[in-house]
Amino acid sequence: MNTRLAIILGLSLIATAAWAQSPTSSGATNAEVLLAKSHQTFYAAGADMKADVVMELITGDGKQRTRALTMLRLNAPGGSEQKYFLYFREPSDVRRMTFLVWKYPEKEDNRWIYIPAVDLVRRVAASDNRSSFAGSDFTYEDISGRDISADTHTLLREEKLGNNDCYVVQSTPKETLDYVRRIAWIDKTTYLPLKEEYYDLQNELARVFTADKIENVSSGDGSGVIPMVMKRTMLNVKSGHRTEVTFKSVSFNVGLTDDIFTERYLRQAPAKWIQ
Amino acid sequence: MITRLTRILTAWAVDHPRRTIALAVLLTLAFGSQLFRAKIDTDPENMLEADQPDRVFYNKVKSDFGIHDLIVLGLTDEGGIWRRAALEKLKEVTAEIAGVRGVIAADIVSLATTDNVKAKDGALDVRPPLARIPDTPAEIAALRREVASNPFFHEKVASADGTATAIYVPIERKDAAHRIGREIEGIARSRLLPGQRFHMAGLPVAEDTFGVEMFMQMGIAAPIAFMVILGLVYVLLRRVGFLVPVALDAMFSVIWAMGLLIGTGHTVHIMSSMIPVFLMPMAILDDMHVLSEFTDRYRASSDRRGTILAVMEDLYQPCFFTSITTAVGFASLALSRIPPVRVFGAFVAFGVMAAWLFSMTVVPACIMLTNEERLRAWASARRDKSSVLDRLLVPLGRGVFRRAPVVIFAFAVLLVAGALGVARIRVNDNPVKWFREGHRMRVADREMNRLFGGTYMAHLVIDGGAPEAIKQPALLRWIDGLQRALEADPIVGKTSSIADIVKRTNFVLRDERAEFNVIPDSAEAASQFLFLVQSSGDPNDLDNFMTQEADKANIWVQMKGGDNLQMAHVENLVAEFTRRSPPPAGSTIRWSGMTYINKVWQGLMVPGMLQAVLSSFVWVLLLMAIELRSITLGLLSMLPVSAAIVCAYGVIGWVGKDYDMPVAICAALALGQGIDFAIHFMERFRQGFRITGVAEEANRLYFAEPARASLRSAIVIVFGFLPMAGATLTPYVTVGLFFALLMTFSALTTLALLPALMKYAARWTLHMKTEEGNRRRTGH
Repeated sequence: MNTRLAIILGLSLIATAAWAQSPTSSGATNAEVLLAKSHQTFYAAGADMKADVVMELITGDGKQRTRALTMLRLNAPGGSEQKYFLYFREPSDVRRMTFLVWKYPEKEDNRWIYIPAVDLVRRVAASDNRSSFAGSDFTYEDISGRDISADTHTLLREEKLGNNDCYVVQSTPKETLDYVRRIAWIDKTTYLPLKEEYYDLQNELARVFTADKIENVSSGDGSGVIPMVMKRTMLNVKSGHRTEVTFKSVSFNVGLTDDIFTERYLRQAPAKWIQ
Repeated sequence: MITRLTRILTAWAVDHPRRTIALAVLLTLAFGSQLFRAKIDTDPENMLEADQPDRVFYNKVKSDFGIHDLIVLGLTDEGGIWRRAALEKLKEVTAEIAGVRGVIAADIVSLATTDNVKAKDGALDVRPPLARIPDTPAEIAALRREVASNPFFHEKVASADGTATAIYVPIERKDAAHRIGREIEGIARSRLLPGQRFHMAGLPVAEDTFGVEMFMQMGIAAPIAFMVILGLVYVLLRRVGFLVPVALDAMFSVIWAMGLLIGTGHTVHIMSSMIPVFLMPMAILDDMHVLSEFTDRYRASSDRRGTILAVMEDLYQPCFFTSITTAVGFASLALSRIPPVRVFGAFVAFGVMAAWLFSMTVVPACIMLTNEERLRAWASARRDKSSVLDRLLVPLGRGVFRRAPVVIFAFAVLLVAGALGVARIRVNDNPVKWFREGHRMRVADREMNRLFGGTYMAHLVIDGGAPEAIKQPALLRWIDGLQRALEADPIVGKTSSIADIVKRTNFVLRDERAEFNVIPDSAEAASQFLFLVQSSGDPNDLDNFMTQEADKANIWVQMKGGDNLQMAHVENLVAEFTRRSPPPAGSTIRWSGMTYINKVWQGLMVPGMLQAVLSSFVWVLLLMAIELRSITLGLLSMLPVSAAIVCAYGVIGWVGKDYDMPVAICAALALGQGIDFAIHFMERFRQGFRITGVAEEANRLYFAEPARASLRSAIVIVFGFLPMAGATLTPYVTVGLFFALLMTFSALTTLALLPALMKYAARWTLHMKTEEGNRRRTGH
């Protein structure tokens, strides 16, 4: 009787252990798949996008600066390459400054800038996409997405964040960066990241991303709606500095063409898209 | 009245010796229990009041411009840093340092982490020089040239000679500097290649090291002084039993003073850490008089109780006055505008009075507890022995009295020489020099300042008066011009500002053509250049140099020396430049930064100490006039110690030693302490004169027994301070040596000049009083 019980107990323990292990072993691939899905919705929805963006840069003691720009994005058909056209409106002394980014997932981006005060276009070669975007707490990568294959992903758990069911995914960069891991809460229905925590080299919480407002935006091509993070915040935990980004008048599939994303239009922004 | 009260106290102690000692031990335990709560404070900013305007401004500058405390790691390499292996090591070390908890990794400045903005193949290239380590020697040479051509790297992170590189590590909180410093040291030690060496510099490291050494000084210098003092007491009194009351007195007063200091919530600063070494020799001075005179008289009477009471009777008044004048001298430091100096003065004063209390109670109680038989045997063995001191003192007393004119003339000459020396005094200080020559902090300081643009930081803050004012070409050009003028001076190693960033961006955008290495012509261009910089690096790259509103700018001035005089020199350069070409209307400039703060408190120290000395002079004079019941006698008795102070400071002037913090402190102390010899002389001389009516006889009586006690105290105090000369921190060394010098001078002037003066002065100061007394007496 006792022996039999022990055997049953032992077997069930082994079974439990094996069962518990299976999601972890396949978790990496699962995580990568759902992260790719999230990436697609968050950074690459539609064939193209046009939006007016307002960024508030707020210091720990509440001092505020505003950046306003118009963003045009075009996805390369079929591939994961993207092109961005960023035209600054505010502050007034940088009005008409324009950034052009050709983004390649697995190699260094091409970037150009136009400086109206001296009427100069320059190509910028920057080593990493971790540098600040326009002096904000967001990096270029935070704005345009990070190459999925550059990290190792693990599905940590599934849990509720507020009222939303989420996957909690940890991503660990393969090379040394300014952070050692990122934990993302990804909404199970929309696949948008609702929250991200970045842990610095000392493994302390350094930055927190939050999606503060999500709205459904018409896809523009009659296929329905696209869930869009209309307001997002990046908080630098250590300095207390934060940047709030609000997207206004977002439209997808407006019919942007490749020729807009060239040096020619840097000097003279395309009037059709940027008034 | 004091005499009457003390008499009651002493009588009780003599009658209840055990209870007296038990009570003293109990109180001491209470004070001692506080010692474990000691908190060390080595922040030089605390030399200023929390609300001192320059300090308030410095704090604002730090928060406005996001300035953190920096640990600077310098790596030198015999084989040069510009080779692949060395550069790889550097990258490894930097990456590892970034992982140390408490380090602000994003703000580390080094070849591996800081973006170099340059023009390359028609593009603006923004990446750290070591983003990719080149393979071939030609590529490495090209990289070296690139780095050398960027003023933000040249002589800041890479030395001109190619043998050294620096990593600037900002830390979140200064109180973690010790741990972080250790971890960085560990990383450097374990990673370095053969032939590579490292130096650690920066204020947090210096402060931390200083704190550790301070504890060591307290743990080593104080006990050594204690042993030396006990040894001296034994040599002078030749009785082991007498060491007990002396040791108790020294220990108790130190424990009381430090216990009260810590118990009342004060931190232990460099100044207050000196309290034990100061207090010990002074605490036992009254004991020396009690024990010395007891020894001398006990031989004659062999009555323990009678002798001690008789000795005490003669000492109530002088001991009280010597103690109170000393205490007042220290307490006068409470007028200082430098908080640690105030705390030091107040608690030494308390300790001195505690020591006086012990001399009046514990010491007689101890004597009452000694074995009477052994005491008698010891006394008879010593009888008839004429001491070395007597053979010295008796002829001295006779000589100076007979040759009074010569003595007075000689002193007049000395005084003039001293005064001339005082006129040559150079006021100067530099806290880094508080470490001894050869100390690793001094070596690091020297090496880093030789290799790089200077480790002494000052900030010149420009307030443009309105938002966006800094971006105006006129102001940027003015800043640029000022920097060039400063950098022409050898003390200024390097300056960096927002103007440099604007200029550099302009230069790089135009393919590094020399004619564009200038400030652009419009504020708009400057704004757009800065926006570009912000968009390609860290968002806070500009914060160190300009506020977000662009209303204020900060010029980082790196200097190769941190002496107050060097800081003052740089201030003058700026003042001169501003006179020649004033800044655009509406803008103002103001200095800040640690090197400047050090100059500020040194500036407060000098007049502060002078004020303290003058006020203690007035107080001591008042006390002396009360004690001697004559202003003239009071003034006369202060003459020797004043002469001694002038001569001692004259020596400082002639030798060329800087008048720094420790030297300044000594003046106020010397007066209260040096006057003791005069008090004992006057007291005894007056007594003798009252009895004999003849000055020469009064002088002879003083040079018999009391002079011996005075000389013994002088020896104890001079040699008791000398162990500090072996300390590793120079303020201790200076105080030890200088105080010993001051006390030697005070003892000599009192023993030589005072008798000579009294030869003439006695007649018209004491004589009249004696006659008056006689008349009063006969009238009765």
